Parts: sequence; C-alpha cells; structure tokens
Amino acid sequence: MQTGDRSKKKGTKEIGLVYFGGTRKRVVFSQEITDNRTMKEKILIVEDEESLRLFYEEELKAEGYEILSARNGREAIQQLETTKPNLIILDIVMPVMDGMEALGRILRKGRKIPIILNTSYSAYREDFMSWAADAYVTKSSDLTELKKKIRDLLQKGKVR
Amino acid sequence: MKVLAIILAGGRGERLYPLTRDRAKPAVPFGGIYRIIDFTLSNCINSEIRHIYALTQYKSISLHRHIQLGWSILSAPLGEFIEVIPAQQRIDEQWYQGTADAILQNIYTLQEERPDAVLILSGDHIYKMDYRKMIAFHLEREAELTVAAIRMEHKQSREFGVIEVDPNWQILGFQEKPEEPKTIPGDPEGILASMGVYVFNTEILVRRLLEDARSDSDHDFGKNIIPEMIRKNRVFAFDFRQGDQGGTGYWRDVGTIDAYFETTMDLISVIPQFNLYDPQWPILTYQCPYPPAKTVHAEEARVGTAINSIISNGCIISGGSVKRSVLSPRVRVHSHAEVEDSILFEGVDVGRSAKIRKAIIDKEVHVPEGMTIGYDLDGDAKRFTVTSSGIVVIPKWIKL
Repeated sequence: MQTGDRSKKKGTKEIGLVYFGGTRKRVVFSQEITDNRTMKEKILIVEDEESLRLFYEEELKAEGYEILSARNGREAIQQLETTKPNLIILDIVMPVMDGMEALGRILRKGRKIPIILNTSYSAYREDFMSWAADAYVTKSSDLTELKKKIRDLLQKGKVR
Repeated sequence: MKVLAIILAGGRGERLYPLTRDRAKPAVPFGGIYRIIDFTLSNCINSEIRHIYALTQYKSISLHRHIQLGWSILSAPLGEFIEVIPAQQRIDEQWYQGTADAILQNIYTLQEERPDAVLILSGDHIYKMDYRKMIAFHLEREAELTVAAIRMEHKQSREFGVIEVDPNWQILGFQEKPEEPKTIPGDPEGILASMGVYVFNTEILVRRLLEDARSDSDHDFGKNIIPEMIRKNRVFAFDFRQGDQGGTGYWRDVGTIDAYFETTMDLISVIPQFNLYDPQWPILTYQCPYPPAKTVHAEEARVGTAINSIISNGCIISGGSVKRSVLSPRVRVHSHAEVEDSILFEGVDVGRSAKIRKAIIDKEVHVPEGMTIGYDLDGDAKRFTVTSSGIVVIPKWIKL
C-alpha cells in the first residue's frame, strides 16, 4: 500500500511492519528524499510505540521536514526546553506522561506551536483539554490526513 | 440545568494588611462571627446551588479550616458538595497567573462535573444575591456569558470594570478601570460596574480559556476573556437590582482597612443597609458552641455595659464599657476598661482600665491593664498600622 504523497520521492523501499490498534499492516517506508528547501521545518513526534515513531519519522522526512522525537510527554517537555519545533504531533496514551497532561503543560511552554493530537481513540475528543489542540487526527496507516493537517497548520502559522 | 459554582478565594487582600498577614482575604473575620466568604457561600445555598468549589492559593489554611468546620452542611450522598481546592499545579508548576488561569488549571475538575453552566464568583464581596434570577436571565436571553452589573457613580469608574450595554442589556463594550467611562444610557452620572459574578455556558468557557491560554494575555476575566467574548459571543449584563435580596443595592468589596471599618460599623446602626437578621436569607457560618454573651457588675463605680454594639457568644463585659463596637466571640472587657468605635476579633482581652478607640484588634491580643490605643496616633503609628483616617490596626497574637 501507498502512504500519502509520493510525488517528491525518487525511490522507496519497504522496511517494516506496523501495528494499528492490534491489526498488522504492511507499509512502505520511503527513503532517499530530495529536499529543495533551505530551512527545513521541524516537527516533534511524541509517540511511545517505536515502530510507529520510526514510520512517522521516515514518512515525514520524505515530505521534507526535519524530525525530532520523544517517547512520552515528559521527554517532549524536556525537548521544548532546548528546541523550538514548528509543530508537534502528540500521541495521547503513553507511559510516564500522557499526551493530555503534556498538552496542558505545552500550553505554557511553547503555547504558540501548533499541536496535532494523534490517537487511536476518538473518545478523547470529549476531553476538554483535547480542545486546546489545533487538530485531532485518528491514527491510521494512511497518513494523508495527517500530512494535510501538518501542511495546513504550518501554512497558517506563516500567514499568522 | 446543572450549575457548578466556582468561588475564586485566592485573593491576597494586600490592602487589608495586617488582617491578611495570616489569612487570605475571604477568610478575614467580619461582623463578629462571620468570615467574608460566608456571604458568597450563603448566597449559593440560599439560591439552591449545592455544587460549589472554592479555589484557594495563598495562606489558605485558615479558610480551609473555616469551611471544613462550618460548611460541611451539604449531602454527599445526594452529590452535593462545598469543597476547597488548593492550587494543585497539575497543569503547570506555577501559581495561578490570573483569574482565568485559576479556572483553566482546574479544567479536570470541570470535566468531571460537566455542568451545563458555570457560575464564577469572588470570595471577597459582601452582598445578598439570588443567583437563580441571574441564571434564569442568562437562559432567557440565550446568552453565552452573563455578567452581573451594579450601578455606581461616574467618579468611581477607576475602581471597576465598566460595562457598556444596549437597551436589551447586551454588552457592547467593557473597559477595565477607565478614566473616561461609558455611562448608562439616560443616566450620565451612573456607570455599570462588573461585580465579578459571571455565568458561562461551560463549553464556551472551556474553549475561550484554552484559546486564551495560548495567547499573550494576563489570563484574566476582566482584561482578556470578557472583552474577547464581547466581540465573538452573546454576552449580556444582568442588573443586580433584579437579583438583589433585600433590595438595598448593597454590594461591597471590603478591599481596604477603611472600607472594612465602615462596612462593619454599618452593621451596628439602627437600620443597617446590610441586614443580617433576614430569615428569608440566612447568613451561615461556623460558630463554636460558646456560652451566651453576658455583662456583669452594676456597682456605682463599676458597670459592665454594651451600647449600640454587636456582642458575640462567649464574650464577658465585666465591669467595663463597650460603645459602637463589634466584638467577636470570647472577648473579655475587664473593669473600668473603655472600648469605643472598635472591632475586636476573637479572644481579645482588654485589661482593667485600658482605653481603646477606633481600633481593629486581631485575634488573641491581650491589651494590658491601663494601656491606651487610638488616643495618641503618632505614638500608635510607631508600632502599628494606622490608616489615614486614623484607624489603628493591631495584628494577631502580638504581645503588647
């Protein structure tokens, strides 16, 4: 299966299996990317599941972004002490510090940075704190929606 | 309609120092047996609002104890509560940054309750108000936010948030402490002042708080949230006179020692503006079961008297005289002592032949035999706070 926009890629290579909500899916990770931008936009991926984190990393690098990653909310908060990503993708269910708590804390530390909540559970939309996020994307092996939201939010940030 | 009341009870009350040296402003004793927060809490109970949080921050032990002792009156099995929430630093390791931030930091509490509307109150004010009437108005106007407003004189505008309304009382503008306020249409001497009493639809409140949290802001209702909502939402003013219980238009922020003194002294007038004796609107508080007050000695040169005064339980006027004063529980006034125009807090002991005039004496102070307070203001000012109007304030526990 294909994941998202392929237009910029020179070649792709299948490298792994990823689990989505218990269902095993074969995905194509992309590599060898041409990047024409001078200043790459930085995205912080906060995700506890390693294979998924790598998958996002590869996919988003392929889109031309620079990727930072954190395994839980606490690591994300620590990263924000020293780095300033242009956007954060935040999982909710994580050990050490979950995404909702991290979201509350990020409101203060890097409150202007757009945040996308990314979870397998749509029920978190009921959570008041989730309303602080700029977008809410349910996890899927198809990253089209996520990538679109990233583009939209980064674009909006430039206009702002 | 599920309404949750949240009382902002974190006020430092710096201008009430030294009465706020050991306690937050809502916990300052008032009217002999009350604490300032009792009036807001009584308004809630008398308005049949029985889901109440009080948010505290500084010096909250005294307030916490008072509410625990005096306000454990609701039924937990029926889901009712009055609960004190100290600053928990759940979202951030910082104190509350502003009034809106105080609510935001308790967003999880709000979520657990999921009320339809949130009634936000200040724990600092003395008034009697039926909040049900304000909530009914809020629903009737299909408002998203309703702000209680009281008429004040034009010249007081710099002390208040001033509201500008259209003929339907929809709010057009909000100025925080303006020099040149918008006056009431048809009443050029009057302004509408915000009382710090708000009814919010819960969802709108949460969304605005979160937006505000992500912007450069003081995170304050008066400065940020309300002006922003006036631009975007249906915001109405509720005329306090429609909900004023007693109909005297009485509402006081006892923000300074002088205001505190005057507001207290009003209580002992023959017909006070603020009536504590209205059976329709009981003011509840915590009272330790002390014995009744008494006066003793009626000899020729030694008479225990109290005139034009409030004397609380446990007081003994033993051969001394008390005039135009308010005595909290357990005050003793010994033989030949004179107390005039003063406020004595719980446990104050006035020694033989001591003379006290125009003073506020905080808890458990022992005034030694023969001492005078309030007769030599320059001398008093060397040791105590003396206000420009000549009120001497003696702090709690001090050794004289």
